[in-house]
Amino acid sequence: MSDRQKRIRNFSIIAHIDHGKSTLADRLLENTQTLTSREMEDQVLDNMDLERERGITIKARAVNLQYKAEDGETYSLNLIDTPGHVDFNYEVSRSLNACDGALLVVDASQGIEAQTLANAYLAIDADLEIVPVVNKIDLPAADPDRVRAEIEDVIGIPAEDCPCISAKTGVNIPDVLKRIVTDVPAPKGDENAPLKCLIFDSYYDSYLGVVVYVRVFDGKLKAGQRIRMMNTGAEFDVIEVGYMAPFGLQKATELAAGEVGYITASIKNVRDTQVGDTITTVENGITEPLPGFKQALPMVYSGIYPEDGAKYDDLRDALEKLQLNDASLMFEPETSAALGFGFRCGFLGLLHMEIIQERLEREFNLDIITTAPSVIYKITKTDGEVLYIDNPSNYPDQGEIAESAEPMVKANIITPTEYVGGIMDLCQDRRGIFHDMKYLDSTRAELHYELPLNEIVYDFFDALKSRSRGYASLDYELIGHKPSKLVKLDILLNGEVVDALSFIVHTDKAYGRGRKIAEKLKENIPRQLFEVPVQAAIGGKVIARETVKALRKDVLAKCYGGDITRKKKLLEKQKEGKKKMRKLGSVEVTPEAFMAVLKLDE
Amino acid sequence: MKRLGLYLHFPFCKNKCAYCDFYSVVGYDKVEKYMDALMLQCEDYSVSCEPYAIDSIFLGGGTPTIVPQKQMCDLVDCIYDNFNVTVDAEVTIEANPATVTQGQLKSYVKAGINRLSIGAQSACNNELKALSRIHTFEEFEHTFKMARKAGFKNINIDLMYGIPEQTMESFKKSLKEIVSLDAEHISLYNLKIEDSTPFGAIRDSLPLPDEDVEFAMYEYAIDYLTRKGYVQYEISNFAKKGYECKHNMKYWTCQEYLGLGTAAHSYFRNTRFSFIKDIDSFVAAIEDPDNGNVITDENYTISPSERVGEYIMLSLRLNRGININEFKRLFDMDFEKMFEDLLPAYVGSGFMDKTAVGYAFTPKGMYVSNYILSSMLEFSSEIDKNIANGKDK
Repeated sequence: MSDRQKRIRNFSIIAHIDHGKSTLADRLLENTQTLTSREMEDQVLDNMDLERERGITIKARAVNLQYKAEDGETYSLNLIDTPGHVDFNYEVSRSLNACDGALLVVDASQGIEAQTLANAYLAIDADLEIVPVVNKIDLPAADPDRVRAEIEDVIGIPAEDCPCISAKTGVNIPDVLKRIVTDVPAPKGDENAPLKCLIFDSYYDSYLGVVVYVRVFDGKLKAGQRIRMMNTGAEFDVIEVGYMAPFGLQKATELAAGEVGYITASIKNVRDTQVGDTITTVENGITEPLPGFKQALPMVYSGIYPEDGAKYDDLRDALEKLQLNDASLMFEPETSAALGFGFRCGFLGLLHMEIIQERLEREFNLDIITTAPSVIYKITKTDGEVLYIDNPSNYPDQGEIAESAEPMVKANIITPTEYVGGIMDLCQDRRGIFHDMKYLDSTRAELHYELPLNEIVYDFFDALKSRSRGYASLDYELIGHKPSKLVKLDILLNGEVVDALSFIVHTDKAYGRGRKIAEKLKENIPRQLFEVPVQAAIGGKVIARETVKALRKDVLAKCYGGDITRKKKLLEKQKEGKKKMRKLGSVEVTPEAFMAVLKLDE
Repeated sequence: MKRLGLYLHFPFCKNKCAYCDFYSVVGYDKVEKYMDALMLQCEDYSVSCEPYAIDSIFLGGGTPTIVPQKQMCDLVDCIYDNFNVTVDAEVTIEANPATVTQGQLKSYVKAGINRLSIGAQSACNNELKALSRIHTFEEFEHTFKMARKAGFKNINIDLMYGIPEQTMESFKKSLKEIVSLDAEHISLYNLKIEDSTPFGAIRDSLPLPDEDVEFAMYEYAIDYLTRKGYVQYEISNFAKKGYECKHNMKYWTCQEYLGLGTAAHSYFRNTRFSFIKDIDSFVAAIEDPDNGNVITDENYTISPSERVGEYIMLSLRLNRGININEFKRLFDMDFEKMFEDLLPAYVGSGFMDKTAVGYAFTPKGMYVSNYILSSMLEFSSEIDKNIANGKDK
């Protein structure tokens, strides 16, 4: 181990949502005087508005801290932040692979939650030294002793003398820094061996091109080198290397084995710098990439359409811009008879989908219509052809299908015991297969279910939260396709099928869902000049029907005192309202109607 | 000589009705200085109205009959002094039952007022109370009879439907009572709950008849009044032959009118404007026009394309509807071609009739006319442009 390596620690902070990961990161920055508190805007690492609002990290971030320890040495601490959501599990695992240790932050009142466990297992898989930290000891309900015992029992790592802190008030933060130095192993690796680096994040900068965050395992990385991304095969000349200082990029002459830093190389597209890929030199490079690389594959698809058809190009531009920083966002043009021109978009999961939707609306000021999320169904046709269907419009006729299969997940739910019954009912209702349940302690239980992903994308998360007063947590991983009795449910307005409202559903659920959608649509379709029948149908068979009554009264009886302007304004306002409507055949529908059918759980 | 209608607004009420969102204040202390300001404004417009013959005058409110009779008669004299009023001009004053005396009515007739519009609203006292009207039906009948005695030969009665507590039966009773008085003109208004009114705040708890019942009332009224010799000539207006309200017809046929007083609207020399909705600011601006006091509220010129929209919107309020030949002559446009995507469907579904000369709403169509007009017309770009140029707030 080189002297340089002895003074490097690469670590991440892992935690369940809201257990205080970002606040702790802020305190570490403050305590190493990397930032003074005055300079600090709260939560430097979560720098997207959306991240701050939701209290979650969407993209991984990294920052270098200079810490003067009690032994008089100055240590270079690389904090690699991880996304805190199951949708981004793969990114989390890559970020963890760039580290040598992890702080496992657990809330002193809530204890271990589903993502605490999921992340802890990922860290264990990555061979990291785990340093437990009990946070929020300032809360009245804090019970650090219970939580320490829980960490030992459930995760099986010693925690009796772990730091008990309050990131909020700053209590015991120096303890954490000490532990990072003493407990997290220094990086190993041979500076003189061929170059071996892991990409754990990247983002697009309009001046520098793609900025790639890397951990160097072997060798040295410096400007002028010709490098290759081993999985994608893309080659570039390194222009600049450096460290991620809290205020921005800080140029350096080289990054050596054990270090964490960035490179730029005039890279135009984040697709060339995929998370998990290995970088080596073109000359004298290594031949075996680091294990574990996966192409980020979407699990959930939906159609995104501009509310105003004329904004199609704006929507495409916006998606392209988002894709610059998000290699896992997929999209391709799609046409709907009902909604016109739009895009079929693939997402890592529901949260990812919501984030993209929100960013389109907020950052790009677009009004969009999103169709119901769909998973990827595997259809074997009678002629033996196998199709993967992510769009209900492409679903074959029932007669042509030999076998239909849907993606399943292994779900892990942690909940206070009093909600177990309600949650089991929910999982049952969502076609879950119970695997097992174990008690974490006398108050909390962990449930394992196998669930169809198709059921999870239908506001399962909201339902789970409402049945547990917000206390239950969920984590899941995809385990492949299983045969299932599926049908395509069509929605008809005024006798015409609205393609954008069709979806694929399990036979047993079709009636209930069809009825609910018809009811919801009835509430969301404004009364028009004629009566509008709303029907749900499978094949040609109608299974539910509602009627939107015809408009009876819409008249300005009195045109008083010659105030014609007022009447004009009234008509104009009405006209504006109508412009927002989507015309489906002869029926005008509010954009909200499309959203309403996505939220069926009361 | 060009024709012009004259409107004068009297923003005073004894009591503010819970459904009313027109500009008026309770109390009389500002009446005197307001009347003086109105007379000054008549003088101000005297010159610009020289080329016009005034063939209708409408004294509206608020409650014009609150103004002491001497002052009102002075004002009418002032109008005659400053404008070229035709001998056969229709001169209307609005009256609320129980705010007017026999002497007052006589003096109006003497001053040249020849049409009276009385707000009866309903013949059922519980409904009048629900509307927070201050009169009873008996007081209304008394006022009506006084007006006849005073010499009014042209009387309008305002009636409402869709009011709290009203039923089909009570509405039929109101209609019957009103018709028995044999007025020349009946306005039948559908109560609209405006957000800015006390009713607006309690909209959901009001015991209103449901929409289907309201429509049934409307259909019934059209049928009943027609049988009783009244001709419907506009969405809400019925008259015996020859008694259509000349003044209101100006609104619906895009003719010029000048509205004087606070909150009054004008369509004058191709411009739509209104005066500020505040008695004190209005009076101040009249008294001291050079002191930076702004008197207009909305103020914008009507573009040619906007005029087309207004013409359609207003003509279709009338039972006779749009005359496509007149439309062609006025605008050099083909009405049927402009709306070829819409008209056949409206006619086919019974919302419009194809008349001998054009198109007109059926009662069913009138009842959803906003919906239909908002599909046909486009004003926003025009209004926006005008707001950018003018002073519209």
